[in-house]
Amino acid sequence: MLPQKLKKKLQKVIRAADYSREKAVDVMYAVQRHYGYLSDEGLAESAALLGMSELELEELATFYDFIYRSPVGKFVLHVCDGVVCWMCHEQWSCTGEEESIVTYLCARLGVEVGETTDDGLFTVLPSACIGFCEFAPAMLVNGRAYGPLTPEYLDEILDQLRKEHDELAVDR
Amino acid sequence: MPSLVIDNRSVEVPKGTKVISAAEKLGIYIPRFCFHEALGAVGACRMCAVMFLDGPVKGLKMSCMTEAKDGMVISTDHPDAMRFRSWVIECLMLNHPHDCPVCDEGGQCLLQDMTVSGGHGIRRYGGPKRTYRDQDLGPLVGHEMNRCIHCWRCRRFYQDYAGYRDLGAMQIGSRTYFGRQKDGRLQSPFAGNLIDLCPTGVYTDKPSRYEGRRWDYQRSDSVCPHCSLGCATMLNVRYRQVIRLEARPEPAVNGHFICDRGRYGFGFANHPERPRKARIDGSEADLQTALQEAATRLGEVSAEYGAGAVAALGSCRMGLEAQVAMARLCHERGWSAPRFYLEPDLALRVHAAARSLEPELALSQTELQKADFILAVGVDPLAEAPMLALAMRQAVRSGATVALIDPRPLELPFPSRRLAVECGLFDVALPWLVRQAFGAKKRRKLDEIYPRLLTVAGGEGLEKKGLRELKKMARLLAKSQRPALVCGTDMVPQGLPGGAADLVRLLREQGKDAGVFFVLPGANAMGAAMAAPEETAGGDLLEAMERGEVRALLAVESDPLFGFYDRARLERALEGLKLLVVLDHLPSVTAAKAHLLLPVTNLYEAPGISLVNHEGRLQRASAIQEPGTPLDQYGGGGHPPRVFSESTPGGDLLPADVQLEELAGLLSNTNAETPRLNAWEWLAQRQPGAAEAVSNGAPVYGERLLPIQVGQAALVEQPVASPVAVGKLELLVGSWFASAEELSSYRPIPAGPEDEPALWLHSETASRLGLETGGPVRLVLEGGELPLTLRTSDEMNRRTALLTPGKGASWQMLPGRRTLLDESAIQRADRGES
Amino acid sequence: MGEKVLLQNRRRDRPATLDEYRDSGGYQALATVLKGVEPRELIQMVLDSGLRGRGGAGFPAGRKWSFLRQEAPHPRYIIPNTDEMEPGTFKDRVLVGCDPHQIIEGTILAGYANQAERAVIFIRPSYELEAKVFEREFSLLREEGLLGENILGSKFDFEITLHRSAGRYICGEASAQVKAIQGERPRPDKEGHMTESGLWGQPTIVNNVETLACVPHIVRNGGEWFKNLAATPEGAGTKLYGVSGMVERPDCYELPIGTPLREIIFEHAGGMKAGRRFKACLTGGASTKLLPEKHLDVRMDFEALAKIGHRLGTAAVVVFDENACLVSACLNLLTFFTRESCGWCTPCREGLPYMRHLLRSIELGEADEDCIPRLKEMTEMMDHSYCAFAPGAAAPVKGLLEYFEDEVREHLVRGCCPYKGV
Repeated sequence: MLPQKLKKKLQKVIRAADYSREKAVDVMYAVQRHYGYLSDEGLAESAALLGMSELELEELATFYDFIYRSPVGKFVLHVCDGVVCWMCHEQWSCTGEEESIVTYLCARLGVEVGETTDDGLFTVLPSACIGFCEFAPAMLVNGRAYGPLTPEYLDEILDQLRKEHDELAVDR
Repeated sequence: MPSLVIDNRSVEVPKGTKVISAAEKLGIYIPRFCFHEALGAVGACRMCAVMFLDGPVKGLKMSCMTEAKDGMVISTDHPDAMRFRSWVIECLMLNHPHDCPVCDEGGQCLLQDMTVSGGHGIRRYGGPKRTYRDQDLGPLVGHEMNRCIHCWRCRRFYQDYAGYRDLGAMQIGSRTYFGRQKDGRLQSPFAGNLIDLCPTGVYTDKPSRYEGRRWDYQRSDSVCPHCSLGCATMLNVRYRQVIRLEARPEPAVNGHFICDRGRYGFGFANHPERPRKARIDGSEADLQTALQEAATRLGEVSAEYGAGAVAALGSCRMGLEAQVAMARLCHERGWSAPRFYLEPDLALRVHAAARSLEPELALSQTELQKADFILAVGVDPLAEAPMLALAMRQAVRSGATVALIDPRPLELPFPSRRLAVECGLFDVALPWLVRQAFGAKKRRKLDEIYPRLLTVAGGEGLEKKGLRELKKMARLLAKSQRPALVCGTDMVPQGLPGGAADLVRLLREQGKDAGVFFVLPGANAMGAAMAAPEETAGGDLLEAMERGEVRALLAVESDPLFGFYDRARLERALEGLKLLVVLDHLPSVTAAKAHLLLPVTNLYEAPGISLVNHEGRLQRASAIQEPGTPLDQYGGGGHPPRVFSESTPGGDLLPADVQLEELAGLLSNTNAETPRLNAWEWLAQRQPGAAEAVSNGAPVYGERLLPIQVGQAALVEQPVASPVAVGKLELLVGSWFASAEELSSYRPIPAGPEDEPALWLHSETASRLGLETGGPVRLVLEGGELPLTLRTSDEMNRRTALLTPGKGASWQMLPGRRTLLDESAIQRADRGES
Repeated sequence: MGEKVLLQNRRRDRPATLDEYRDSGGYQALATVLKGVEPRELIQMVLDSGLRGRGGAGFPAGRKWSFLRQEAPHPRYIIPNTDEMEPGTFKDRVLVGCDPHQIIEGTILAGYANQAERAVIFIRPSYELEAKVFEREFSLLREEGLLGENILGSKFDFEITLHRSAGRYICGEASAQVKAIQGERPRPDKEGHMTESGLWGQPTIVNNVETLACVPHIVRNGGEWFKNLAATPEGAGTKLYGVSGMVERPDCYELPIGTPLREIIFEHAGGMKAGRRFKACLTGGASTKLLPEKHLDVRMDFEALAKIGHRLGTAAVVVFDENACLVSACLNLLTFFTRESCGWCTPCREGLPYMRHLLRSIELGEADEDCIPRLKEMTEMMDHSYCAFAPGAAAPVKGLLEYFEDEVREHLVRGCCPYKGV
């Protein structure tokens, strides 16, 4: 159940718009922030607020890649696999093996792509080019970009995120 | 009119025509998937590519997206175009399961046709196929997404055309998935059209799955018998069983679609308890013997009590041939006036509608879509004539406004204006509205010309809020150029149908291209009016039976006990008859009471029937299959018994009109070979509108048989406001979609939540009475109590209660069609009491 | 070389403030225009300047504005497109992070020129920090009377709001973006014209933010000045070139439009990384053809590139070194395009995965000889899709087959990728 305060806030936002559907993504983002992901319940509540059918909102929710319809960790590590970052992944490992940041992270965190760590903190997902090509290879975590990534830097980031996980404003 | 050359042939087309349609005029069928006449051109599939060799456009372009212009030179079979189309097919077939042998669509599949004609035969793609999980969309529509070629037709029809929002396109790219958010029954009452529209086997007809291939079926052009719109259907019969119905494109009537009731309501035709053997006092007999016996006994009653003691009661579901035969029989034998309605008031209203429907006023579904303002009074489109709702929606999509004056909680797939006044105020509200559409000076002039029509005491009985809303509607009417008035005949006051037509005439005289669209109680209500215009002079049949004036009743394709508001009373009257003869194909409750039962064929059996729809259009429901017990039933599921007979088992049936003609012959006692007019000639003599459509004693189908001559109207006085008094509620009985229509009730579409018995009240009324939405209530009537679930709506009339009884007859203990109740009649029930 | 126009206020770690922008001449253009320039005059100014859209299509901005009829109904909308999802492209992000007010002033001017009421900035999810920058500056501007009712005491009202996207490359296409804002499933829609019926069915102008950022400068200094900034006679203005990949100094460089590609890579971006050789590059993001060494002297302008069969696109220069397998690179690009295809039309939705499959089999050394003509044919078929997405997706492969067919053949001959284990 969405808390009353959040519900009222969202209703206000919707009322202020000329057309309520304009706020569909904003409402989904807010509800997603509350539940950690856009659950079935969250989808139904969002649809009711917007005056859309659940299917209509599901059409949008499943179309977009930053709306998570499955549970994700507190930090979603969107590792860019755009062509520039890919180029750098390829150069990244000198072992000649098929290595990339994604495989490195998955090994480090003990998860597969799309899975969440047991402590509920990290999910590793690919992402289309995030627009930080001069800092390739890069990744996006909860709206913040990090790069150029090295194994050491990655470990640093993970530690930092672990420390900050209560304070970091989750703003996607 | 642009003129262009396609494949070296010239064609001239109206401005705005797309090249793909221009080609069709030449008989050239350019391959396509996403293009559909009703859904428009969107350019998604890229299948209709042709080469533009010369003119304002050059190169490979999509023919559905390109407007035909002067000087265009087009080649549909240019090698580049063929190569491209072949490649598009290859792409579409990349992920296709190639499961034609087990797919119901095989043999009637646009993808198959396009694949073969597109020259794609060998599969060179060696990669994996994208697969989906299917959904359970309910009992009527199958779902197999692996066959999808993403033509987008289903979403465009379901959401854009029909206005329902529980099916759509989820995901993105080649993973795009067409379905519901969760498994569950499709909510649209037009969902079955997905089956016709889908060019592959994603959506298939579930009830008829695996029954056969298209070439196995005997197919004929039929017409839907479930309401007065008369949509065109395609009948598929195999082994003496109706397998399925499809929508049949009829541009003048229903366009490309039909509703689900029309598509799936044919279960009555194959009903295992359908009467197939004549019965005399309960014992089986052959049909000829029974006919003889019927003639004998009818003659006896006539002789003993007078000809007027015999009455015939038909229905709106009869074919025109049978209606004519029945009317003639009554006429020739001097029997009581032929009747097609048990309720004389209903007959009067339908006759008023029939009489006032002049050719310039009549609107078809297609014409209604072009209206710019639609005012509907006393009609519940989705319940009474679902395709009407779809036609209204298309008008709305083109910018029209729809306004409805009705007390019921109407659910419609488009935005509309509402005035929820009680039925007793229609007669006042409508003229007031029309009058308000004119300026003050004009109004005074009109008052002089139409004193009876317009001068009603200043909107008497209407509340301020109601008058404000009527004013708004009036403004829309004033601005409109093509207004349409949709008028019901079910829950309306006596004078409304005639009044509505008068108002439309007034609007036309004042320069508007106005029309009227009547919704009548059955498929062939117009036919009944044409065959027996003198019905209303006959008086109340039920009372005549009760008084003992009528001692014998010949019920032809009629089950008066179904849907009559006071069943006990009617049962008593029927029991008091000396003779009850029933001719029917339904295993009805009235048939069970008959002394003599003569089984008849239905419209899906040879030769079929003729029907006249709400706009007076004569249509033919043709059938090829001779009657007989379906092989399925005859064989008990296994091989049919190896018994030889000269006649078809269960086939000792004759059409109703043939039987009635035989009765006429048996009863006439004359041996003289007086040349007898055939049914059409007889009809043409009485109905000048029919005379034009009949040539050489045979009808010409597709035309309107207007005007219809029906006897003098009972003089309706000045419209009077009859609001519901404070503390009272007017109880209406809702004809909810599937279970309340007679024919489809025999094998109803599997029940949905709307079929549960419910009572509707305005939410304020409910809370004032201390009742809980969704909670159990008791409706206390003189004849007993009804346990119901309470539903509330904010859009219905506050002094109206709507009963939707679902299946079953327990509700039939009301004193009338519209009943005035004390508010105290609705009481809270304890849970567990239902 | 170089007058810096758009990046003149660039700082290492933060955007320029409103005051800093004003100190460098910001909002003077707006003041001038509001004091006595007719909307039509402003449109003419932009038309005369030769400014071409910087979002990828290169459509002349003034011409686009002139399509919106004077008598067209109100309200009207301006949509500054900050979706920038073309792989390799990051210039808009840099621009917002450097000097957001340039864009805002340009947007208000565009609003004035088209007598619009409101702008809706459409911004992608990975630019959340930049979105917050915008929102912060809007509040400031409202306080200063530069946004809202009666801007700078004139009769002109204008408001700007931000619309956050939830992802997907196709939202960068104008008509798809409109659907996204309207809360509908995004897809390109060729029915009707944006300037007649766009956002909510109203007249709408969609412009890239770099395009809008040029407008205040054009107004302040004149169209002639803007034209003369170019390095070619047909060009106009400076251009933001985003250089990335195997170069020493990947970054966003503002240079006269028409600067030679060789200069951009080897002078400004510091040349190839130590010990690496140039092999190929994309000239304008992922939807452009791979360009080989022999074309390095081409001038990076719309016309010059078109002359050799290439595109300027978003001017995102992605540089590959001799270790890069171009088949693999194309496979990466096709994977991106396959994932991002909206799914509306057949060639894109089904044809791109088909191409990807073929590239994959080449990369794995499993393909037959005939895959080359088949791939080539497919790239041509893509030109008949519904929108420009599919032809763009095919472009790198077109370049691969045109200039690097040998590399493809080597895969087939060897039965594996020759660059594995390098």
